[in-house]
Amino acid sequence: MLRHLAGASALALVLAGGAVAQDHDHDHEDVTLYRVFVGDHEKGQVTAFDLSEPDHRWTFPTTGQVKLFPVAGGAVVAAVQSDADTVQFIRSGIAFHDHGDHRDIEVGDPAAIDASLTGPRPFHLVEHDGKVVLNYDQGGYAEILDGHALAEGKVEPVRFPQARAHHGFVAPLGDSWLSTIASDEKVEGDASVPRLGLQAFDAEGKPAGDLASCTAIHGEAFSGAYLAAGCKEGVLTVKAGANGPEYKLLPYPAELPQGVTTGTLLGSTGIQVFLGNYGPDGLVVIDPVDEPHYRYIKLPFRRVDFALDPAKPSTGYVLTEDGSLHRIDLLNAEIADSAKVTEPYSMDGHWNDPRPRIAMAGDEIVVTDPNAGLVRRIATEDLSERGTLPVEGKPYNIAVTGGSGVTH
Amino acid sequence: MKDWLFRIAACSAITFSSLAAAQAEPLDVVATFSIIGDFAAEVGGDRIRLNVLVGPDSDTHVYEPRPADAIALAGADVVLTNGLEFEGFLTRLIAASGTDAAIATLTDGVETMEEPGGGHYHYVDGKAVFHAGAHDPHAWQSVPNAKVYVQNIAAAFCAADAEGCAAYQANAARYAGELDALDTEIRAAIAALPEDRRTVVVAHNAFRYFEATYGVHFLSPQGVSTESEAAAADVAGLIREVRDRKAAAIFAENISDTKLLEQIAREAGLPLAGTLYSDALSGPDGPAPDYIAMMRHNAGAIAAALAAR
Repeated sequence: MLRHLAGASALALVLAGGAVAQDHDHDHEDVTLYRVFVGDHEKGQVTAFDLSEPDHRWTFPTTGQVKLFPVAGGAVVAAVQSDADTVQFIRSGIAFHDHGDHRDIEVGDPAAIDASLTGPRPFHLVEHDGKVVLNYDQGGYAEILDGHALAEGKVEPVRFPQARAHHGFVAPLGDSWLSTIASDEKVEGDASVPRLGLQAFDAEGKPAGDLASCTAIHGEAFSGAYLAAGCKEGVLTVKAGANGPEYKLLPYPAELPQGVTTGTLLGSTGIQVFLGNYGPDGLVVIDPVDEPHYRYIKLPFRRVDFALDPAKPSTGYVLTEDGSLHRIDLLNAEIADSAKVTEPYSMDGHWNDPRPRIAMAGDEIVVTDPNAGLVRRIATEDLSERGTLPVEGKPYNIAVTGGSGVTH
Repeated sequence: MKDWLFRIAACSAITFSSLAAAQAEPLDVVATFSIIGDFAAEVGGDRIRLNVLVGPDSDTHVYEPRPADAIALAGADVVLTNGLEFEGFLTRLIAASGTDAAIATLTDGVETMEEPGGGHYHYVDGKAVFHAGAHDPHAWQSVPNAKVYVQNIAAAFCAADAEGCAAYQANAARYAGELDALDTEIRAAIAALPEDRRTVVVAHNAFRYFEATYGVHFLSPQGVSTESEAAAADVAGLIREVRDRKAAAIFAENISDTKLLEQIAREAGLPLAGTLYSDALSGPDGPAPDYIAMMRHNAGAIAAALAAR
């Protein structure tokens, strides 16, 4: 159970060096706490620890290998296990309550939520507008959870039907639900079902608009008023309008490298801009409103993982296979700084081989290093290593919850 | 030796001309929305290079900042903001830009009004969107407050460009004179109205400073509904108030859609009397391309609708 941070716990945090700022006033305590969740590559297990006090450590068994998503304002971490047909949830133990000019932080131990979701190959998780939506790639449906209820430990899914099972996503936008659409084309064996685009539906899954074409649609992110998704011919943007979703396809311009596409997108929470992959060794900064819509960033090596910095919304980080971490300046669409942070991890081989993953934790980037059995703490300021934290097994996917708040 | 002297002289000349060029360079100013952009243009004149983030007929409350805005802030010398939580996007935009510009809050020194209920509603695409804030941010709707904005702008420009200070102060003084005349004009227009015809209806409660200064009472739905259609019971309450207070006119706003107002007008049996400009100027071809035109238009539209019949 969550509890107000008080007494000894508060003192422990105050003494935790850089974790805690000075007193707000006599009745308040400013607290900064980041909690790191790491999924193992081989074993069904999530390890959680506090970044400032890694001896505060917990282990959660899972059914299979996990991909981790902080949801419900970081109150919960969703552990999506595509190969195990399961989604488990862990209450992070950190919750925030907004009071306008400040927010309160509540800190307790993380705890597994008893209820879980099961279904054929859950994959893409979308969180928007207070809803958490999981697409079942082999189920032909998505399940919608209420984020607030989930934060209270309630897993009460509502099913959203799709015409055909496919590797897609479902997302709320304004009064509509958007779902990727698969073709009727017959496919052999394990071949993936072709995806045609995006369409609006009502909450029961009845069509509420025409198909917006976006061939092989993949990857979705929200930023500002827009949802964006990658397609073979460009990036499809959607925003809510008075008469339903308004779509606009932004074709890839001729000056971008040809023959490659965007299939993974991240949306900034601070300014209306997206960062997407573009081929194995490139990124694109995507402005959904102003031209140029695309600005290309060539990477020196193939990309391993990338993330946006919520604290500095014009900044992103990308790790390349030579083991270098690069700071990306989204405003100038350029690499602003680089530093070697791990040994090389080749992108040759299977896509799901153990390779580093990165996540933001305030003024640090945390990097899993599966071969070294470590999480590396890298300072955003100068990309120097602040320390390493050993994690049993092969630390792989990573998620961070927490931040700063006030205790009373 | 001669060569040395020549080089020093050349360096000095370059340094001097660089400084002169730097001084001639206009001040880069970012104004968050069109109304304070107009104030900035009046005070700064040709000594500033102005970038307005939220343009004419646009709602600052729901604005989503773009990369170009962050780039503008990054290069700015001065950023002019309303404050009072009006620009909800500003903190994250400042963080995104990494700007080291001076941030001037133009409502500093204004006698602010508290927001009853901790905020007010905007109507976007038929939906009520709550704008939380402890203080009513629409202080510019009173001309005496606009004069405070102008003084603050002159002070911010003087701090950033001491050489141009005299020009900024002269511009501010000239413009303050125009604002005084405007204030007198509005007071006279409202004073001519019958005492029992001083109430109008608007969708968005942005005119409380106008009400306090000039004595026109504004009714507005307080969060009639957060659903796409206003609930009948909520609208009925407002209609009763319209009748009790003998409201004589309903106005649309340039930044809000008119769905809700049309519903209220139908049920209250009042026609829409025109459009008021609350949080943004009109485009150059509209009736409110600058602040003085905007206030003159609003006061004129209200006076015309409430005039004795």
